Amino acid sequence: MLLESRVKEQGSILARLGEVCTDPLGYAREWKARTGGLVVGSFPMNFPSEMAHAAGALPLIIQEAEDPITAGHGLLFPFYCGYTRSTVDQAANGELDVLDAIMFGDHCVQLLGAADAVRMSLKNTRVIFFQLISSMCDPWTLGRAKESFEKLREELEDFLGRKVEDDALRESIRLFNRDRQAMRKLYEMRVAGQISLTATEMQYVVKSAMVMDRREHLELVEALVAGATENSPAPEKRAIRLHLSGHFCQAPKPELLDMIEGCGAVVVGDDLYHGFRYISTDVGENGDPMEALAHWYLDRNTGVPCPTRVQNDVDWDAFLLDAMRKENAEGMIVLMAKFCEPHMYYYPEVKEAFEKAGMPHLLIETEHESMALEHIRTRVESFLELVKRRRGAAPVVTSAAQGEVA
Amino acid sequence: MNAPIQAPTPPSAANKLKSTRMAGKLVNDYWEMVWRAKEEGKLVCWYEGSSINPFLEAADIVWVHGEAYSAMLAARHQEGPAQAAAEERGYLRELCSYARTHLGCAVNNQRHRNGSDSAFADVPADEDISAKLPPPDMIISAYAYCSTGQQWDEMTSRMFGKKVPIFNVSIPWIWASGKDAGYLRGQEWEETSKYVAKQLEEMVKFIEEQTGKPYPWDRLRELMRNVKRASELRLEAMDMCTAKPAPATLFDWSVSIAPINQLPCTTDIVDYFTNVRDEVAERVRTGEAAVPKEKYRLFFDGIMNWNKLGWLAEKFARYDAAVVAGRYTHMAFWQEPGLINPEDPVMGMGQNYLICPNNHSSPILIDLIMGLCEKYEVDGIVFHATRTCRAFTNPMFMIAEEATSRLGIQTTMFEGDVADESFYKDELLNTRVEAMLEAIDQKRMAVV
Ligand code: SF4
Ligand code: SF4
Repeated sequence: MLLESRVKEQGSILARLGEVCTDPLGYAREWKARTGGLVVGSFPMNFPSEMAHAAGALPLIIQEAEDPITAGHGLLFPFYCGYTRSTVDQAANGELDVLDAIMFGDHCVQLLGAADAVRMSLKNTRVIFFQLISSMCDPWTLGRAKESFEKLREELEDFLGRKVEDDALRESIRLFNRDRQAMRKLYEMRVAGQISLTATEMQYVVKSAMVMDRREHLELVEALVAGATENSPAPEKRAIRLHLSGHFCQAPKPELLDMIEGCGAVVVGDDLYHGFRYISTDVGENGDPMEALAHWYLDRNTGVPCPTRVQNDVDWDAFLLDAMRKENAEGMIVLMAKFCEPHMYYYPEVKEAFEKAGMPHLLIETEHESMALEHIRTRVESFLELVKRRRGAAPVVTSAAQGEVA
Repeated sequence: MNAPIQAPTPPSAANKLKSTRMAGKLVNDYWEMVWRAKEEGKLVCWYEGSSINPFLEAADIVWVHGEAYSAMLAARHQEGPAQAAAEERGYLRELCSYARTHLGCAVNNQRHRNGSDSAFADVPADEDISAKLPPPDMIISAYAYCSTGQQWDEMTSRMFGKKVPIFNVSIPWIWASGKDAGYLRGQEWEETSKYVAKQLEEMVKFIEEQTGKPYPWDRLRELMRNVKRASELRLEAMDMCTAKPAPATLFDWSVSIAPINQLPCTTDIVDYFTNVRDEVAERVRTGEAAVPKEKYRLFFDGIMNWNKLGWLAEKFARYDAAVVAGRYTHMAFWQEPGLINPEDPVMGMGQNYLICPNNHSSPILIDLIMGLCEKYEVDGIVFHATRTCRAFTNPMFMIAEEATSRLGIQTTMFEGDVADESFYKDELLNTRVEAMLEAIDQKRMAVV
């Protein structure tokens, strides 16, 4: 294929993924009309969608919507994270009616408030919950995780009125693994400069996986990988290489990501949930699939530690510094969804570790509505200026922290 | 310089219980014991949330309840240095203020003890009791419902360099799944109870490892006999407040939280609640009111605003409003003594941890609250939208909706916080409460 038509094809794939990301529930409605199948929603961040997929349903991770909050004002206070407020708002506005069931196991306190309100609003939707253990290194963590997944599966089977077979589950696991591997390949290629994907495009790749039919998604992502060659336009050499960190349940807004890269940076890695966190870990393909899912649950927190879990023997800050070394990143922007308590707890740890390591970072708090982009741009520009000045200078182990609250 | 002339203090409108005065002394004695712990060579355990203190007290471990320390600092208006220290370390203001205050204590504590950190190796000012808290030898995390609680413990452990052993008890949320689900019943309840009890057994082994001694079960049984009795007396006294006028209010029950929640489980707490029960009974007999001109009866939904406790008690009394019950005071703290079998206490203790009111999802929680509103014949609900405690604010809109549709009573909300005074807005409270009371008046007139 000629380079030109390949670039064109890449562009149309990304446009398609972007389309799904802009209207995930529209995609679900269209899928439902096309297939007549069930759509099973879930809340982030640890419900294994493989389970609903094996049941023949379309698993969809409920996304924060762009719309300002309206009916949701009467259900949750404004001092909640954008994800929970938006989810409740979508439920109250009837947007989530397309979901036949919702399943989840996470228990961030704000998410629990949202889940209760969602159940109250969606009278005809079965909302299935079984709390996943969040203390990750107890002797019984693995067993309890397996038991929780089994309970979720039983309830799903009760809802469907039939069994979810182990073989079907193994099949789904294989498919999801392949899709994760394809997405991770894009990450590797981005670090190596073999593909030029903006942070927004990378978000489209990952976020659409949370919504789309997996096979369809896999085909598109594999085409993206295959289409990328050493001839792909390499990122601007002088651009500052950044790692983006944080933002759990909701995707950072594309305009924010575009603005950051527009200031002369290129994002080379991340641990965003709508990013590497989501795709970091595969599920074992052999043996008991429930056991494999339980291992996956534990492994992914060891691989990319999550502040919503407690695990005394892993450190998020150490992971970040290590990841940045591998990505050859020069600085980190922390995106913190305003009011996100798990993130607020861990941020001082990260801040201290980065100060100690002499690695610059900038904290940006994001909001569902009204983000002062111009003000943030000024801060990003000064931050990048500082990182640029440090180039060439020997690493300084001082408290040269650039952390600052918006 | 001459002292400014002060306006005479108006006489108190709230007729507080006299018997609760004893709580102040018991609380002080308890904290004195905590502050002496290291000198006396005692092991210290930090924990938050569930009242696991009898497990520790039995093993002769000094227990420090994080919320209690933060609440005590806030009630004494001494939370400032701890909150400032937390902020300096990077904890943002929107984070649970109980946690922030307590973590601030840990920061101060570390600084004052860390001789190598010359910038901070100072001696705490006498009045800075945030730094007096003895550092933990162990941490036990057993927080129902709120993920923030478990993370708070994890952060404490990290702040002490992960050198302090930590034990996690996971207490799952009662989601009310299954057709048999309900308050204290159903498969979910049974299974969850067993899961928690099993972990408590493991926790006891952890305690044994820390003390190096076999666990003194007899001592635990003895303490739980006192807890059970104290709890029964407390509930009996609360029940008597269905009388009109009410002999005691939520503010009396708030003062009585420490004795049931974290004071030593000796016969002192039994004596305390016996006295409270007797005084309440006497008031019922003589018709003595907690709010002398009781005109309105209200339910208070939300966690307490500790910096404002006395202030709020006065404020409501001046409106002739008796706050007769609340989610925090009437639905927590060894709330189901009937579940406790002192001879074999673990299961019942676990079940009491599970029924922390927030740990029920809204279908169960709302039924319980509506039941209390009916029982105490309230005219309205005041919601304290606790800015940094989402565990309490989570179901508030749904409760308000049900109160209006099911019971036809008035509701209003005001913003405040557990331990961060800056979130409290007095004018808002005044106008909202006044509007609600007016609406109650109008409704009464319409009925007449
Ligand atoms: S983890 Fe953060 S973003 Fe997710 S629901 Fe909780 S507060 Fe919101
Ligand atoms: S947010 Fe509320 S329930 Fe949660 S830890 Fe803080 S005070 Fe406790």
